Amino acid sequence: MNDKYRALRNGLAVLGVLTLAVGAYMGLSWAPAEREMGEVYRIIYVHVPAMWMALLAVTLNLVCCISYLFKASWGKDALAEASAEVAVLFGGFGLVLGSIWAKPTWGVWWDWDPRLTSMSVMLVAYLGYLAMRKFVEDPEKRAVWSAVVGIIAYVDIPIVWFSVKWWRTLHQVQSTPKTVDADMTLALRVNAFAFLFLMAFFVWNRYRIARAQRAAEVALPEALPTSAGHTSTGPVPGVLS
Amino acid sequence: MTSLLLVAQVTADAAARVGEGRIQGGWGYVAASYAIAYGAMAAYAVSLWLRRPRGGKSEE
Repeated sequence: MNDKYRALRNGLAVLGVLTLAVGAYMGLSWAPAEREMGEVYRIIYVHVPAMWMALLAVTLNLVCCISYLFKASWGKDALAEASAEVAVLFGGFGLVLGSIWAKPTWGVWWDWDPRLTSMSVMLVAYLGYLAMRKFVEDPEKRAVWSAVVGIIAYVDIPIVWFSVKWWRTLHQVQSTPKTVDADMTLALRVNAFAFLFLMAFFVWNRYRIARAQRAAEVALPEALPTSAGHTSTGPVPGVLS
Repeated sequence: MTSLLLVAQVTADAAARVGEGRIQGGWGYVAASYAIAYGAMAAYAVSLWLRRPRGGKSEE
């Protein structure tokens, strides 16, 4: 069974890299230049998929957090941790790419406009979520507290998405296939799928690491002898599966 | 004939005006962005490999 999963994981990585190669060709060469931004707009093919993956990963985190509070399980906790870390990865470099794109188009590297500000708040919130997980040693308390923090942090996500519609911002509103060239839409979709395959690969591998850490943490108290020959009453593997 | 020439001239003028607003060059920004995106994902893949569970059966 493990071999089957390993083959699936490696298949995801290969698929992701191959699709990314096709996406890079389409984004850098095949897709036409933009009418006003010229070649600079080609940053869209890495910036937008990165941000989409960040939003997708935090949504997965939210589902795990809510689900954990209804029915506790180490698997949900591990998946929440994995998705938050991957969200910070994509959100972090996605924001840097946005800043690079801003310089030639807006004339500045950064502006405290609602979209950029709310996205920064999201990054800080999930960095805080990950930091809190490092500081709390008790696995059960950590799982419950981080589930609550994960739900609170997600409050910012609708603000990120709708900020360009609710306020007048430098950042443009979401485009639709109706407003851009069909070749641009196709190139963006190919890159988005490449990022999706790689994100799934990252989350899966990070989940395995988190599961192994949880297993080691919850197994340790049981292994330690306590007074009068009894074993510790700490969390036991299998109680939360 | 004169009106056709006039239409052609107006069209050419409009096309020239559209072109005037286009950002020229900028490949350096594009190259930096792709390098950062691919570099970040490659670095993260390496970090996952370094942290991979070793020994024993891992849970999927």
